[in-house]
Amino acid sequence: MIRRVTGAAAAAVLLAGLAACGGGSEEGGAGSATELTYWMFQDRTPQAGEVVEKIRTDFEKANPGVKVNIVKIPKDDYNTKLGSALAGNTVPDVGILDQPLVSRFAQEGTIKEVPAGTLNEADFWEGALNTNKVGGKLYGFPIDHTAVALFYNKALVPTPPKTWDELKSISAGIHQKDPKVAGIVVPKGDGYGAWMWPGVVGGAGGQMVDEANKKILFDQPQAVEALQLWVDLLPSSPREITDSDQAFANGLAGMMISGPWDVATIKDQFPDLDFNVAPLPYKTTPAGNIGGENAVVFTKGKNEALAWKWLQHLTNATNNTTLAQALGGFPVNKEAAERDAATFGEQQQAFLEQLKVAQARPAIPQWIQINDEIIAPALESALSGKMTAQESLTDAANKTRALLGWNS
Amino acid sequence: MASPVVAQRPAETPAGPGRRRRPGVGRRDHLIGWLLIAPALVYFIIFLLYPALAALYYSFTEWDLHSAPIWVGLQNYTDLFFDDVKYPHFWKSIQVTLQYTLVAVPLTLVAALGQALLINTIRRGSNLFRLLLFLPVVTAEAAVGAIWRWLYDPQYGLVNAVLGLVGIPRQNWLNTPELVIPALAFIAAWQCGISMIIYLAGLKSIPESIREAAVIDGAGPVQRFFKVVVPMLRPTTFYLVVTGIIAALQVFGLVYVIFSGGGNRSVTGGPEQSGLAYVLHIYLYAFRYNAMGAACAMSFILLVFIMIITFVQFKFMKQEAS
Repeated sequence: MIRRVTGAAAAAVLLAGLAACGGGSEEGGAGSATELTYWMFQDRTPQAGEVVEKIRTDFEKANPGVKVNIVKIPKDDYNTKLGSALAGNTVPDVGILDQPLVSRFAQEGTIKEVPAGTLNEADFWEGALNTNKVGGKLYGFPIDHTAVALFYNKALVPTPPKTWDELKSISAGIHQKDPKVAGIVVPKGDGYGAWMWPGVVGGAGGQMVDEANKKILFDQPQAVEALQLWVDLLPSSPREITDSDQAFANGLAGMMISGPWDVATIKDQFPDLDFNVAPLPYKTTPAGNIGGENAVVFTKGKNEALAWKWLQHLTNATNNTTLAQALGGFPVNKEAAERDAATFGEQQQAFLEQLKVAQARPAIPQWIQINDEIIAPALESALSGKMTAQESLTDAANKTRALLGWNS
Repeated sequence: MASPVVAQRPAETPAGPGRRRRPGVGRRDHLIGWLLIAPALVYFIIFLLYPALAALYYSFTEWDLHSAPIWVGLQNYTDLFFDDVKYPHFWKSIQVTLQYTLVAVPLTLVAALGQALLINTIRRGSNLFRLLLFLPVVTAEAAVGAIWRWLYDPQYGLVNAVLGLVGIPRQNWLNTPELVIPALAFIAAWQCGISMIIYLAGLKSIPESIREAAVIDGAGPVQRFFKVVVPMLRPTTFYLVVTGIIAALQVFGLVYVIFSGGGNRSVTGGPEQSGLAYVLHIYLYAFRYNAMGAACAMSFILLVFIMIITFVQFKFMKQEAS
């Protein structure tokens, strides 16, 4: 008995060893082509797979002997996977990077600065380009970008508001007419709301921070007015209505602030809803926030020259529109955007307008944390009535100053 | 760890004096023993022990996963406890987790015992009911999140509709800070299937003779429940309290899907951080704010806390059936 067990164990070990050898020799058999590894988010539109594949084969045809290995990772896991890859020295050569992470990665030296002459700045929308800038230097390519705008239910809002005053009066009118319907889904004091809010601050001519002079500005009058606007909208937009799932799509709210991804969802799930999208109302200056995907070249990766070439390929006037549409965003290449504007549906036009005035997030490595842990709770305290807008923003600004070690 | 508590401790098997050891076999026995536990041992060392020790090391460093960790000694620990600029919601997350544990664990046990008693009582269809009541446990967490966001919906939710029948006004469950913990605990109690099965096993092991004796002595159903069933179930309850508290202190999936499952919902832990469970807080620092060192320190604080709590329970709670 004992002998048999030992024998079986030995056989198992031997088999495992053989299997390992087999695996190894297969890997060694791969061709001698230069291989470029590109990481991106997993497809979020039905056409994405096909579009990316075509762009890849075009690139390989134009560059004989090059093989582009595309790795798709679900967006929610992306940063975790990338973090582990960087820690384990198995980095891709080039890949997508969340906008707010660019400054951190650049300061750590994890990603490479874009070499002079690789990208012509005049070809790109400024807001999108600025999301790649840290301390005035460029660290990546914008690939596609996106913004939020004002969705409105045509049955409740015949003409969309252009100014804050119009927004308030339309919202009040909707709720007065039918107390079961809210004027607008007022964003919440959470990370998502805090991401949209700078667009509103910009609408009053304000800014979040002045990075060059290390000044926090979101306790200034413009920002306070922006938060007060949301507070003022709440009486005509009660939370018990707008917290309901899909309140806007169900016709329970006249307006909401959201991004282009909701256009497709609403059209698909609520085909009867007659809605359109308008640029965000503003007080003094048209403005908006920005999101989207950037791509960077990793310091630990290989084939740097080829990697930049690949990013040029993704963002040139020929490819950028189809790629951006496949990624669920908008082209960053001006020529492509202007030429193809008509190919975007009626509801998408407002986003194209919005992106021309979009402002990049502050290039501060801790920005996600400030956004989630400091600004979001401050918005919530004002929206829930626990503090005034000025009190909560003063408090948040002071906390941010303490965290960053800035004096003003 | 807790299994010997559930099972009746077997009587000590007397070490047989007549058991002979053949010379030379002992060493071989050892070898085979090691060989047989080797897979489990390798798994334990590679996937549990090593990461745990590595986490302990990283908890003394500032590490963002990309660059080399910088040794900072105890700074992560002191900052977590005392620096509310760097970690503004650390204490809040502890408060939320303790409140959740205090509400969810008793609620789960009461629900589990109630369900077990019902299933134990019915004559026909007990298998079907057991299956139905166990279903929430095997439901994917994301689906649980979606289902309950619907049930708690302030406009269309079934919970408000049912409460409305008895005259309780509509509530905005998941968006009112004071209601978030009870709402979450209720979902946890709905998922009490495993505790229910364990209670059921406990009920089945109560000897019929004791129940009969109680009946003969004139004890009514209520008396029988409190004087016979509850004391006899004490080892089971003890086990469920210990494991329940450990699980509740580590709650993550539930809050994560409830507050982030709907696409663009934020992961920051519900209205005014009222659902910011401790492990969600760890997750945010580890993977969203790139502060792995601090996150490791937080997980060690939790480990020590859980060990203390569990030790106290073993020391001061009655474990034996009586």
